[in-house]
Amino acid sequence: MVMEEGSTAVGKRKRNMGKKKVKKPKNKKLKMLEGKGKKLRVSKKMRNLFEKRARQYNSDDDEEEREEGEEALGDTRIDRGADNSAEESDGSEEDEIQPGVMKFTDGVRAFRLAFKNIIKRNVADDSLGPVLSGHKQLVAKKLAEEEAERKVKGEAKKEKHLVAEKGHVKPANYLDSHEKFLIGIATKGVVKLFNAVNKAQKAQKGLDPSRSKDAKVIRRQRKEAFFSELGKTSRDSSSKGNTSSDPRNEEEPAWAPLRDNYMLTNPKLKNWDKTAEAGIADDAGRMSEDSESDD
Amino acid sequence: MARFHNRKKKVFVKPIVKKQQQQQPNVDHITGNKIPKSFVFSRGKLPGPLRQLQMDLRKLMLPYTALKLKEKKRNNLKDFLNVAGPMGVTHFLILSKTETLPVLRVAKTPQGPTLTFKIHEYSLAVDIAQSQLRPRCPQDLFKNPPLIVLSGFAAANEQLRLTTTMFKNIFPDIDINTVKLSSCQRIVLLNYNKDTKLIDFRHYSIRLQPVGVSRRIRKFVQNHQVPDLRNLQDVSDFVTKAGYGSESEADEEAATVTLTSDLSRVNRASTKSAVKLQEIGPRMTLQLTKIEGGLCSGEVMFSEYGNGGNEKKPGNEEGNEKEDSENDGQMEDSDEDDEADNKEDMEESEED
Repeated sequence: MVMEEGSTAVGKRKRNMGKKKVKKPKNKKLKMLEGKGKKLRVSKKMRNLFEKRARQYNSDDDEEEREEGEEALGDTRIDRGADNSAEESDGSEEDEIQPGVMKFTDGVRAFRLAFKNIIKRNVADDSLGPVLSGHKQLVAKKLAEEEAERKVKGEAKKEKHLVAEKGHVKPANYLDSHEKFLIGIATKGVVKLFNAVNKAQKAQKGLDPSRSKDAKVIRRQRKEAFFSELGKTSRDSSSKGNTSSDPRNEEEPAWAPLRDNYMLTNPKLKNWDKTAEAGIADDAGRMSEDSESDD
Repeated sequence: MARFHNRKKKVFVKPIVKKQQQQQPNVDHITGNKIPKSFVFSRGKLPGPLRQLQMDLRKLMLPYTALKLKEKKRNNLKDFLNVAGPMGVTHFLILSKTETLPVLRVAKTPQGPTLTFKIHEYSLAVDIAQSQLRPRCPQDLFKNPPLIVLSGFAAANEQLRLTTTMFKNIFPDIDINTVKLSSCQRIVLLNYNKDTKLIDFRHYSIRLQPVGVSRRIRKFVQNHQVPDLRNLQDVSDFVTKAGYGSESEADEEAATVTLTSDLSRVNRASTKSAVKLQEIGPRMTLQLTKIEGGLCSGEVMFSEYGNGGNEKKPGNEEGNEKEDSENDGQMEDSDEDDEADNKEDMEESEED
């Protein structure tokens, strides 16, 4: 085993173990082939080839195993070949074999050399990559690259998130003065509406709504009461409303959609809150217009 | 064994309950006014928080809106408009994203006008619930339309007036002679700030609490739970001992109403009740940037960046609208196929 002395012990053992497994079935096969040989009429040429392959296969094995193989084959010529391979392993074989198989042998040898080369190399135990990989640098480089890529991706994601969150504000846990002010306004509005509703429905309480004749008259009265509650009589506001709304319409025909909206929909008593503000006249006017149209 | 054979097998047949298709009325049966309905949808792809805002807005617009309105990428404005007609949808609330700030467009169908608001800041309902110690959400909160309060719009600006009319008409009217106070559960507040020209959009829940009753007794009546009397010497202490007075109670005397009819177990007729509001979100700060005559098109009646239609519009919005109008033009042929699908989709969502 001249060749193998160079290789590390670990590599050798490994290879041997692998061989043992493969070898026995191979021998059996060969035996069978031999038994059948007469029947199948394996040509001498082919047989030679088989033998050679087997020899080469076993060429770098232990002595014992090779002997087994030799016995199985039971051929003196192979014996000699095997001895040759055991002593020199390469070189001598090339003389006897045919050109077609030479390449195969070469390939095997090249592979063997390459493999041995790899195995000879001392690679430090490291978690960076596979055992046989010598390209530690490459792995490190790759990792660094990946990280950089991830960083870029993360930044892009962050940016996207920022864009998506634009204008999104988490409210504070406490009510600041502005929020309190807004709640105050809303509360005022609600109170005003509720009071108005209560007042309107109080008057209604004793009446029978099923008698529609009465109900109609009473409803009108109620409306008046409501407007007086708002600080305006319905007569007053209606006249005011007419005067205030008409000139505006004439002045700005471009605002027709506004006016259309105005006429189409019936925003009835939604503007109770508006009375607090300055635009009383207009709103009240609209309200009264609506009420008139209802009647 | 015979017993077993004789025993009749009872086959349980699950009664097939037909899902009642409650058609929402188009017209209020009391006042006879048309009930405004709305679609809240988006143009273009929205990022997560904005999609949430869209959902919040839909909840706010309940019950006369399509809560589960499904939109597809290929749906254009015309699809929605085609569905809106037969379903009696009167208003569109359209959310879209621009490179600077999200945009909310409020439009009346089918002819417009369209108001374009920039959303300077917004908080979702979730954020607001998180910021509160005890977020409140009664079951039937969203079963009735909200009230709307507009304040600060008194300035005689045309655009402001149009804004007020638009928002007033977005929710159904209330008739004070017939309305039940128990159905007034929510309120939407729009407050215009003259100095900053921003509109604060808030959404509160309304709660009535009896005044002059100690907290303990109120809770006792509300919760039906056996109170903890461990620390008391006598039962009478439970009634007489004053609890912690809330400091806010003093300055809220103005916020009291006298009820004429029973509202709930706690709020009886002819008792004084305090009106308490709690925010439910979403919260938005809007800036009116543009008014268009048509539905997302037509002449520009007002623009924040200079008055009149000749002014150059800001790039983003213009781009958006161009897309819209182009799409409308191109898709006209293929619309008819899509319409059917869309209609089904939307109807399904309405039923829910």
